[in-house]
Amino acid sequence: MLIITRRAGEKIMLGDDIVVEVMEIVGSTVRVGIQAPRAVPVYREELWDLIRAENEAAASAAPDEVADPFARVTTV
Amino acid sequence: MSTLTVESTRFGTLELAPETVIEFPAGLIGLGGARFALVTTEPDSAFAWLHSVDDPSLALPVTNPWLFFSDYEVKLSKGETSRIGAPEGVDPEVWVIVRAAERPEDFRVNLRAPIIVYNGQGHQVINEAPDAPVRARLFPQLVTQAA
Repeated sequence: MLIITRRAGEKIMLGDDIVVEVMEIVGSTVRVGIQAPRAVPVYREELWDLIRAENEAAASAAPDEVADPFARVTTV
Repeated sequence: MSTLTVESTRFGTLELAPETVIEFPAGLIGLGGARFALVTTEPDSAFAWLHSVDDPSLALPVTNPWLFFSDYEVKLSKGETSRIGAPEGVDPEVWVIVRAAERPEDFRVNLRAPIIVYNGQGHQVINEAPDAPVRARLFPQLVTQAA
């Protein structure tokens, strides 16, 4: 992992298009500003991880013959 | 135009019309994948499969959220909205991913990260609306009955 020390107001470039700026440091909290092309989604890591895990679970949990339980339930 | 053939590990040979293929510029969160198609196994089913065109073993069941959650709301940040690119007043297609289970009462649906399809492109987005859990019960009434 690359580790860079920055002060408030300083920035980091990821390639030519993505700018990460340390906006403000208050106690143990850092406010970070991110400018990225609109095609690049930006997530908080914990939310990304939660959704990644849920996607994986959905892809592997689904039985091959999922139509039967679905059909039975939707007619209730 | 000729169809695309996918040798699905779930469904066998799928013949997909090229216009049904949805491009996902950023893939599905954590799963990647660039091209998917919505595949239905039964004509009247409330459920479809978001099937990868490139990975024959990757498929996720999806449904129309409003069939189950009539007051479901999708609220997107400016960044997500511009990623989709739909003009104001145009409602793109919305799908939510279903996590199947053995018992129907254990089925879950991800209301937090729906899939938006517009103009041949798909995006899994973060829904900022309150009350949009990652693991909502799909059939909460069954749990109430059992209790």
